[in-house]
Amino acid sequence: MSDEVENKNSSSTLYSLPSTLLSMFLRSFFIQAGWNYERSQNLGFVFSLLPALKNIYVHPEALKRAVLRHLEVFNTQPYMAGFVIGNVARMEEGLAPPFFQKGQSTGENSEALEKNMQGIKQALASSFASIGDRVFWGRLKPLTTQLCIVIWLGAGFYGWLFTGAGSEVPAAGLFAGPVSGMAVYGAFAVYLRWQGLKKGYACGGGANCGLDAMDWRKLIRRLSLAGFALSIVITLAAFALLIEFNRGLVSKSDLALKIGLVLSVLVVHRLARKFGRSIFFAIGLILAASIILFSVLKLPGFNIL
Amino acid sequence: MLNALITSMFAGLLELDNVQAGQFLLSRPAFAGPLLGWLSGCPLEGARIGLLIELVYMDFIPVGGVVPPNGLVAAATALLALTWAGLPESLAFFIGVFAGFLYGGVEYRLRTARSGWNTKIEAEVKDGTINIGRWLAGSLLLESAVTGAYIFFFSALVFIPAVFVKPAGIYTATNFAYSLMPWLGLSGLYFRFRTQVGKKG
Repeated sequence: MSDEVENKNSSSTLYSLPSTLLSMFLRSFFIQAGWNYERSQNLGFVFSLLPALKNIYVHPEALKRAVLRHLEVFNTQPYMAGFVIGNVARMEEGLAPPFFQKGQSTGENSEALEKNMQGIKQALASSFASIGDRVFWGRLKPLTTQLCIVIWLGAGFYGWLFTGAGSEVPAAGLFAGPVSGMAVYGAFAVYLRWQGLKKGYACGGGANCGLDAMDWRKLIRRLSLAGFALSIVITLAAFALLIEFNRGLVSKSDLALKIGLVLSVLVVHRLARKFGRSIFFAIGLILAASIILFSVLKLPGFNIL
Repeated sequence: MLNALITSMFAGLLELDNVQAGQFLLSRPAFAGPLLGWLSGCPLEGARIGLLIELVYMDFIPVGGVVPPNGLVAAATALLALTWAGLPESLAFFIGVFAGFLYGGVEYRLRTARSGWNTKIEAEVKDGTINIGRWLAGSLLLESAVTGAYIFFFSALVFIPAVFVKPAGIYTATNFAYSLMPWLGLSGLYFRFRTQVGKKG
């Protein structure tokens, strides 16, 4: 780095410029825009970090250099990106002022610090990706689907379970299901994005910065248990509804056949998973068997309901 | 046809929420299904198709660079196969699932194409132009347009033969298979969480 690579007043931290922090927060919603196989979220990352970089580096050459070093590969879970963005912003602030103040803006120290920053950035990105994937994709998202099902069951909309049955549900009831889950999920995601940015900035520079923001292990465990409990409740409720809706309408042998068919679907799915096949294998198998039975062998029509 | 075009374009806009911007779950099939269905005059069918697609696609998680099947594309295409092509809901559902699965290939190509942007952006920055936002806006526009066009043309591919051929012979079969889909989806939910509890976090 040459002497011309100087910085703005080092007292202008992001804490003294909340508008910069807010701008970074809003831009972080686009962290995945421009996702590409070569460098993943690099474009979204630079876009989010740019307000801080512009605040730190007043000299165009310094800004250019900072932007270029962050155009390298970057990938993390999008809701957790704030932790890394805040951290890197702090490290960039820390990287710049000492050279400016002490006149050490050339030589190996600068390169070593930049390398260290990249190392911390990548390490944190991986750690938060692992946590975020498990919290959001693995648990919270399926939980919002379960919440939707529970609300629809409460509103008396069983049409999702019995595809052959008609239903009368007001539009508000239909939208209440998915929207309620989205509200909970969205609120938590936005909270984490904002807190992540603030915490990441507050403890910036540390390789474990922000990882202790929550007891992730406990959160993940609790979400898993909640999801498992809900999945059992929903499955039992579905079987109870199957029996209730068919009672008096079909013979006991037909009801037994329906329950047997449903259980066989569970077995097919279980076996597909056991042998590493995706759910498409199970769908294809069910569809193929149905076509053979009803279109080729011309069996009379039969629905679960 | 105009309604199909509007639905496709609206779905293209919702798709931005899936990966590119926000990720508030606006593109989840359980929400997009009833919303697009409501716009097309069949919210109940939209809700059912949406939730079932969400359940069966839950097997796939977008970790790392993995491109999962697209639930929004599946729900929108299924709804257009139902309302525009006039196919039974059961057949429309399976067509939608297939469309969402194939869209993974389109998304893969879009992401690959964007890799080429990096060198251009770096060259711009070296020349003193820092305008990442413009590239990202282009990415959003491209993603939305491609998704909308994909949904529209896939639905048109279904609509054209459906006008001439009504394969009533397979409706009984698709109705039966469709009636089993909720149970397949519920089993997916159960297995997912059971595995997680077994792993202890």
